[in-house]
Amino acid sequence: MATTSISKSIPAPRKRARGLTITINSIINAKTPLAMGCFYGVLIALLLAALYPSISNVNLGAYLSSSVISGLIGGHITSFSSFTAFLGLELYSSFYGLLFGGIMAYIGGASLPINIENGTLDLALARPISRTRYYLESWLAALICGAIIGLFTVFAVWLDTLLLKNADINWQWLWITQLVQWAFFFFAAGLGMFLGSFINASRGAGGAAVGIIALGYLMSTFGNISDQFNWLLKISPFYYAPAIGPLVFHQLTWWHPLVLVAAGLVFGIAGLVIFNRRDLPAV
Amino acid sequence: MATSEPIIVIDQLKKSYGKIQAVNGVSMSVEHGEIFGFLGPNGAGKTTTIRCMLDVIRPTRGTIRVLGLDAQRDKLELHQHIGYLPGDVHLPGQMTGKQIINYFSRLQGSEPVLLKDLVARFDVEMKRPLKGYSKGMRQKIGIVLAFMCDPQVLILDEPTSGLDPLLQKVFNEFLLEEQARGKTIFMSSHIMSEVEKVCHRIAVIRKGELVTVEEVETLREKAGQRVTVEFGDPVTEEELTRIPGVSMVKKINGHYQFNVSGSMDPLIKALSRHEVIRLQVEEAPLEEVFLKFYEEPEKTTTVTR
Repeated sequence: MATTSISKSIPAPRKRARGLTITINSIINAKTPLAMGCFYGVLIALLLAALYPSISNVNLGAYLSSSVISGLIGGHITSFSSFTAFLGLELYSSFYGLLFGGIMAYIGGASLPINIENGTLDLALARPISRTRYYLESWLAALICGAIIGLFTVFAVWLDTLLLKNADINWQWLWITQLVQWAFFFFAAGLGMFLGSFINASRGAGGAAVGIIALGYLMSTFGNISDQFNWLLKISPFYYAPAIGPLVFHQLTWWHPLVLVAAGLVFGIAGLVIFNRRDLPAV
Repeated sequence: MATSEPIIVIDQLKKSYGKIQAVNGVSMSVEHGEIFGFLGPNGAGKTTTIRCMLDVIRPTRGTIRVLGLDAQRDKLELHQHIGYLPGDVHLPGQMTGKQIINYFSRLQGSEPVLLKDLVARFDVEMKRPLKGYSKGMRQKIGIVLAFMCDPQVLILDEPTSGLDPLLQKVFNEFLLEEQARGKTIFMSSHIMSEVEKVCHRIAVIRKGELVTVEEVETLREKAGQRVTVEFGDPVTEEELTRIPGVSMVKKINGHYQFNVSGSMDPLIKALSRHEVIRLQVEEAPLEEVFLKFYEEPEKTTTVTR
């Protein structure tokens, strides 16, 4: 074993830029669900391009006009006449929020507790880093993950247009649809951060956040089936993130996504207050 | 930053979790350049006190000032000057030693000026992912993280836990060198022999309450000397217990062992009346005094600050 003596002429430590160290570390921590989100986004979009030529010849009118299917996909569509409609049905319908929103909720939920589990939260907060900064940088990391997943999806749709001659995508409305889904991601991340602010286990917090997203999806499904359950539809976050409307019919109620952004903000800020006030557990 | 007052001042610290009092009215202070030992059995409140000092948990009552700064209100300024080693070092398995050091150096906002020396001294593995590290290897990384940016005050929770005896010795030498450089070190432990080698003063905490704050030298005087005597004639335990200053008499394998505090003269005079085959005198281990603090139900002794 070396027995070197510490030099007595130690220079004063030079300042070092902190940058977004916590954000970068949080993105690295979330690499598995992030990679899953990107992979499935690309996979589903490419599969749609592969399936479209065959499926466009099938008459799906009866299937699509069913209220059950409308409930499942989160919107009414009666004719199936273009690749955009196919995208709206199979990628950007409620499934998008359920799958990728679920991943976002998990990333947000696990973001703080994972650092309790791996022992770095104590060590980080024993340095000149405020809890507010730690929380906000973790939140930012979750939002960046959402942006990356969304961009991968759009990239995959662009690949589809190379594979299909008649893809006929209206890019302006596709971006608007994607922005609406980002609003849903913002809500999911805020919800996750809120739960992660007081649940100490990453899987517990992430799982609880995914559970709430799944519950929202169920409410949306029931709400679409019958007018009697309309109230369920209105309290589901999926109601405020329509995809078929903007993507297929080029219609959007502009304040709907803002409801999701506001709800995400409320959850996120509530989580920040809790995280700032609570005692943090040891590993 | 005011530096006229002691470096660490803990005043009437209380921390409760519901009905459980984890720390109850702890007050103590640590002077500049001191290595201060904070002792107590498992669950006594050592780690709770330390975590309150770092504002990871919030005191129910009482104040903590370090370097003249309030541990809660001024924590960002204060944490620029603090190095912390947690009691149980857990690190993310996917990172390497080098990556984790770089991460925490960035969070500290300063270059790790002691890094090369620490890595050489403690023989720290830097390139492998941390998931393969043993407890001792993780502890060494924890020590590097605490000291690397050359902080003024070190708060160490059971720092030698998991280190082999050779490394414990290296660590103790290192602590004494850091003390000579003017660093103030607050370290917790539940092993007296560990802290008596380096600490000037110790505080003992039991069930959340401070039992004593003493200089190690005073404790040594209290512990006195351990005497082992083998007699050639019959001697009873009661006879030895009656000698002034003699305590803790035990008969082991035909010879007597006991502690003597104060003057040895009464003992020598009593022994002269018997046939003594073998006599051995050594310093009594502080562990025994320390264990007495652990065991006694009522609060004892003086608190010297």
